[in-house]
Amino acid sequence: MSTLDTASDRTTNASSVPTLGHPARGRELRDQLARVVMWLAFLLAIVPLLWILWTVVSKGAHLLLQPQWWSNSQKGITARHEGGGAVHAIQGTLIQGLTTAAISVPIGVMTAIYLVEYGRGRLAKAVSFMVDILTGVPSIVAGLFIYALWVTTFGFQRVGFAVCLALVLLMVPVVVRSTEEMLKLVPNELREASYALGVPKWKTIVRVVLPTAFSGIITGVLLGLARVMGETAPLLILGPYTKSIATDLFGGLMPTLPTMINQDRTESLQPAVDRVWASALTLILLILILNLAGRLVARLGSLKK
Amino acid sequence: MKIQRLGLVASVALVGSIALTACGSDNNAGGANASSGSSSSTTSSSCPKGGTLNGEGSSAQKNAIEEAISSFQSQCAGTTINYNPTGSGAGIKQFIAGQVDFAGSDSALKTVAKDGVVEADAAAKYCGSPAWNLPMVTGPIAISYNVKGVSKLVLTPEVAANIFTGKITKWNDPAIAKINSGVTLPGEPIKPFFRSDESGTTENFTKYLKAAAPTAWTTEPGKKWLGKGEGKEKSAGVAGAVKATEGGITYAEWSYAKDSNLGIAQIDNGAGPVELTGAAVGKAVSAAKATGQGNDLRLKLDYATKEAGAYPILLVTYEIVCSKAKDPAKADLIKAFLTHFASADTQKGLESIGYAPLPDEVRTKVAAAIAALS
Repeated sequence: MSTLDTASDRTTNASSVPTLGHPARGRELRDQLARVVMWLAFLLAIVPLLWILWTVVSKGAHLLLQPQWWSNSQKGITARHEGGGAVHAIQGTLIQGLTTAAISVPIGVMTAIYLVEYGRGRLAKAVSFMVDILTGVPSIVAGLFIYALWVTTFGFQRVGFAVCLALVLLMVPVVVRSTEEMLKLVPNELREASYALGVPKWKTIVRVVLPTAFSGIITGVLLGLARVMGETAPLLILGPYTKSIATDLFGGLMPTLPTMINQDRTESLQPAVDRVWASALTLILLILILNLAGRLVARLGSLKK
Repeated sequence: MKIQRLGLVASVALVGSIALTACGSDNNAGGANASSGSSSSTTSSSCPKGGTLNGEGSSAQKNAIEEAISSFQSQCAGTTINYNPTGSGAGIKQFIAGQVDFAGSDSALKTVAKDGVVEADAAAKYCGSPAWNLPMVTGPIAISYNVKGVSKLVLTPEVAANIFTGKITKWNDPAIAKINSGVTLPGEPIKPFFRSDESGTTENFTKYLKAAAPTAWTTEPGKKWLGKGEGKEKSAGVAGAVKATEGGITYAEWSYAKDSNLGIAQIDNGAGPVELTGAAVGKAVSAAKATGQGNDLRLKLDYATKEAGAYPILLVTYEIVCSKAKDPAKADLIKAFLTHFASADTQKGLESIGYAPLPDEVRTKVAAAIAALS
């Protein structure tokens, strides 16, 4: 998406630059060369994307058109039989994603506010450093860490909430970093103007800084959410798949779309193969819809210019 | 005001997702009845009230247990049985760690220490009572291959062992040609595939090679593959790799070889080539003996059998359960499900998907053991 935007931006900019006199031939040549290279790079980036989308849609779309895909689970359906749906996995993915977001967003946003508005000195540096480290933690390590804590140390069962905890570790740094950037973009003049009117600092942050940065923060949250909803490694370790509907975060197994894909990944029987493609397409659609919904929220919530 | 609007949008999103959560259905009655075939609407009186059972382990029995689960669930409304086919090694580990109610394994719990752990003792420690091995599904292991123009291939244990240790590298090797007169073998390289995960199939296959060709196969049988080749994950993984690779060969459960339409080698244990058929498997299974103490059953197979017409490469998969259920609330469900799985009806239905029913003599012992679970 972003490549597309910047690419088209640059071309329109380049073409709308007024030509002053006659530029040197060498510069014209370089301009053309750069344009060709840029378009090639753009195509290179777009080809795999279209290819993936086409493969997934062509192989999985027919199942998504059946109403039972959206209303039934896979309970009682074996790899050699058609039928059943993905509603159990969609629910699991949504519940885990939203729970993760509910935990991560407050932590992440507040950390970012601290870092940008309050944090000075050693503690702020330490927090910032920790966030950097957390950003670099591979998802499988986050999964294993929670497994070691939840199962090995405390002796609990593998449940949906444990998955959420692992996903929180992955989502918090994304939210912190993006929110931090957005808060830094808020012009200092706005803050100063607010102080000049005698508004206390906390109120300035709540009523001026956060609303100004709102749409950017939402975008960051959505990027984080999209990352964790498509995440697989912690789910494989902590969230075994079940074919039945399970909405209890604290009891029993919880199915999700990534584990549903993984379950039949190596199957050679056609009904199972079809379901793998269909659940992959469902996951892509789900994240797409969330992204669109998030943009809508951002538009409704942003300050009127 | 801004915050209010945001709250409004957020609550709409929340209500929307809750509504979606509420409207799903577990009722796949149509599909399940079609799949269960013979055994629908029989013993609904023996159904427990409901509940959930989690199992994990052998991928060799995945197809069999999924059929059994499907027919059980359609009989007993409100019950949910989950089975994750992550491999025998993983299943036993999760069972000992208390993560699942039963484990599926292609070999009984070890009674001797391996890597410092005696599986049987560790399981008994978790259960607080001895853990029992209940043989539930027997299935032949097919040596499956993909060679263009070769629809019939005979292998002796020695030749098979030499292929999987990398001593024979070409399909037209004289050793293969000698036992396959009349078949034109191409001169291309043999590409063996093995299970990269810890697998009971590997253990049973290597047990066979060790028993039937002790001079050619010298390493000890085990869940980890010690031969040559390229590793692939799980049964479906190796079967898929052979399907996609000209000149490939692997060992996989019959059902996977069948599902992938692979060539299946005939085995010559010394009394002539035997094709893999239900009857040939039945002959070998009925020769198997149930051993073990009391209700802890282990099935002993004679891999080196020279009986004419018996297919020797077999695998027995077990369900491993606590003899006294760790969670008393689940005891009824475990018993009901295993009884259903071991019933003559269910066992017979497994034949069409590449498994062999338990011999009656073994099946009655298993049923008695299940009845003694508490």
